[in-house]
Amino acid sequence: MKAIKTEIVVLGAGPGGYAAAFYAADKGKKVIMVEQEKRLGGVCLNRGCIPSKAYLHAAKLITEAEESSFRGIHFEKPRVDLKQMRAWKESILDKLAGGITGLAKRRNVEVMQGRGYFEDSSTLRVETAGGQQFINFDNAIIAVGSKAAMPSAFDLGNPRVMTSTEALEIEEIPKDLLVVGGGYIGMELGTVYASLGSSIVVVEALEAILTGADPDLARPVALRAGKMFREIRVKTKVVKMATAGKQIRVNLEVGAEKKEELYDRVLVSVGRVPNCADLGLENTRVAQDEKGFIKVDEHQRTGDPAIFAVGDVAGGVLLAHKASKEARVAVEVITGELSVFEDIIIPAVVFTDPELAWCGLTESEAKQKGVSVEVAKFPWSASGRALSFDRTDGLTKLVIDPETERILGVGIVGSGAGELIGEGVLAIEMGATAKDLAESVHPHPTLSETLSECAESFYGYATHTYSRKKTTTEQ
Amino acid sequence: MDVRLPRLGEGADSGVIATVFVKEGDQVKKDQPVLEIESEKAVATIPAPAAGTVTKVMVKEGEEIKVGALILVLSENGAGAAALPPPPPRAIDASVGDDARVEPAIDVTPAPPGALLPLPGAAAGPSGFPIVHGAGAPPPASPSLRKIARELGIDLYRVRGSERGGRIVMADLRAYVQKIQRIALEGRPVPGAAPPPGAPLMSPPAAASIDFSQWGPVTKQKITTLRRSISRKMVESWTTVPHITQFDEVDVTDLLALRKKYAPKYEAKKAHLTLTSLAIHALVAALKKHPSFNASIDEAAGEIVLKNYFNIGIAVDTEAGLIVPVLRDADKKSVFQLSAELNGIAERTRARKVSLEEMQGGTFTISNQGGIGGAHFTPIVNTPEVAILGMGRSLLTPVVREGKVVQRVMMPLVLSYDHRVNDGANAARFVVDLVKEFESIKEADVRI
Repeated sequence: MKAIKTEIVVLGAGPGGYAAAFYAADKGKKVIMVEQEKRLGGVCLNRGCIPSKAYLHAAKLITEAEESSFRGIHFEKPRVDLKQMRAWKESILDKLAGGITGLAKRRNVEVMQGRGYFEDSSTLRVETAGGQQFINFDNAIIAVGSKAAMPSAFDLGNPRVMTSTEALEIEEIPKDLLVVGGGYIGMELGTVYASLGSSIVVVEALEAILTGADPDLARPVALRAGKMFREIRVKTKVVKMATAGKQIRVNLEVGAEKKEELYDRVLVSVGRVPNCADLGLENTRVAQDEKGFIKVDEHQRTGDPAIFAVGDVAGGVLLAHKASKEARVAVEVITGELSVFEDIIIPAVVFTDPELAWCGLTESEAKQKGVSVEVAKFPWSASGRALSFDRTDGLTKLVIDPETERILGVGIVGSGAGELIGEGVLAIEMGATAKDLAESVHPHPTLSETLSECAESFYGYATHTYSRKKTTTEQ
Repeated sequence: MDVRLPRLGEGADSGVIATVFVKEGDQVKKDQPVLEIESEKAVATIPAPAAGTVTKVMVKEGEEIKVGALILVLSENGAGAAALPPPPPRAIDASVGDDARVEPAIDVTPAPPGALLPLPGAAAGPSGFPIVHGAGAPPPASPSLRKIARELGIDLYRVRGSERGGRIVMADLRAYVQKIQRIALEGRPVPGAAPPPGAPLMSPPAAASIDFSQWGPVTKQKITTLRRSISRKMVESWTTVPHITQFDEVDVTDLLALRKKYAPKYEAKKAHLTLTSLAIHALVAALKKHPSFNASIDEAAGEIVLKNYFNIGIAVDTEAGLIVPVLRDADKKSVFQLSAELNGIAERTRARKVSLEEMQGGTFTISNQGGIGGAHFTPIVNTPEVAILGMGRSLLTPVVREGKVVQRVMMPLVLSYDHRVNDGANAARFVVDLVKEFESIKEADVRI
């Protein structure tokens, strides 16, 4: 069979893959994007970012209605039609995926539906519905992503034991739901199910939930979740699970103490694994690390000079926006630019209630690395905007280099923190100082003011809080 | 934990490993020396940042390594944050000519790649291109500017930013590139941070190798790190500082008598009472009256920096060459303390055990050739200081005192100074006062 010749083949159509394909096409390359699923968009669109945010919006509506009676607004208990809710979610995904398909068409990016397999360092075989296709490429970009890990001990073949993928289908609202893993996926989905009426127990093996964030920022999330959920148990391990009729029997270990409990469903959110199996990587010079992630250099190049890898499959933080940035680096390197993925600020957002977002250096990281920093904090109890919607459980925080007063890190917890963190990213990337932030006028009354007021408090003159005077040495 | 070569100080971006004290498998305590590195004018020891077991040694003796290079890998005992070194590694603001810029602790943050891959030829960190941004965070510049710098192959860690917090903007990058071009065209690095546009041309590029053996047998010696560093420093001083040397003589007859009387008492306490320690005493008194000789020039800021401290550098003749350790706070010390300290620091310098810190922060230097011989000479100012005092061998000389020719011991005294900061009249007044201070040293000053 005659091979199809292309300059770039992109394997995977998630936020890494389509970003790479579109950018390469915009730079005048002939691109084929191979995706095994019918709907483009990858995990982010189909089983991750987007559907979870749709449900979290629904959850917020329910919670806000419930919590409005003290304002004199009384709602009946909501009636949730799961079938309709799923259809609503699907309609969002269809719209977005349709958008990607349309954008591919307009750029003349050929989308080939099928499973890709590397025959060698310049040939990809694709198993399509219409038979095998061979693509001869100059460069390949692997962007096949990751999937939720399911440790074999928990893999009972019972649909009541779910990963995030199944949990996002919301087949039913379990009365008792156990969430294994207090990371961002577990906490976000726990929030969704709790608002729908499930009684949630979160177990986390580590000492705290959301361990990547500074403890003072994670605290408001834990506090609120502590009220919404039945229980959050840290330093707790799930030893065994077994089917028990229409329930799951779970054996837990809290230190030396052993417990046996029954749950209607279990959500396993203990991490993600790369989708590297059956790609034919062994026919190329692509190398993997001990966890199976593809090893890449700062140019996103794999051990095979013709092949690049971006996104989850290349390891690091598993976030869509990191994948898209890596995609840009890979394409720029392929098109001859001197691009590297280096010193790039990747923000993290946890869409719990309240939201938690941070970027750059965290206070804990600074401590760990022995970097001397100063920290400025602005509590949202001093924000008029936060008060106006009764959510003062927020905190804005700046991590500052004491010598240059440069902003090295920003952390925000509070309603809408995810929308606010972008300014932090810009500040850090631009090398802004706390003074720059303090002197930029922020609109009133908005939550964005907490950033400028936080910077002002660093100098001891925030309008809406009182802090000790700082003796600054102005140059 | 990765242990990397910490910042060594201004202009010292690399060094040659003199000794490696540890091998793989060794247990080390926190602050235990793990290697000795010869850099600039001293052999400095690098301490372990934490207690632990050496799992890998990444360097060999004789190897030249750069700041930030991986030295060894340490697996910490009872790992965790508690075992990490105290915070110090800090961003460095290099906006003023502060020459006491030494990082006290090992920077455990890996130096970002690219930081140590500057333009070709600048690898050894010539004095015009110091690293001016700390290693904790990438250089403060916008993503678009960083991209341009990357495309140009410019190491932003060496580009001084003019905006708040040292932020680098396009104008800074442009100025830096222009400076590099100017230097490239002139063939040699321009010392100092920012020479004014149209600065006078430096001396011509190094001459091509000549085969001297065509005229007779030769012996070739490799130029040592120290020799290279002395050479760089001297050229820098000679080419930037307009030198003037003022000559004088001082009557040390009475001082020598005092010395003779007290030397044994000093010796008993392991201190040498020398003309150098007496000179420091006299010098500090004179400097207090003439602060412009205890100063530095900051052309970038358009300022003369008068120092309210008196750290006196002492030119020490070692086997390897000239090294100038610094005696700190000389104004706060008695002649005896000065003598005792001088003794120790000179010995350690000759043994090349003096630390980098001990060679930095000087405000004025003394070069005493009296012990060797010779009369007047013209020393070169030890930049960024602005003056240096030379002392020759004292000699029994017939002089006229109150109309009669008498025998006195006279010591040649020379002052070389930076004419940018001081004029001839100033220098004459300073030397006159200095001579007076010498001649008015009293027994009470020396007694112990």
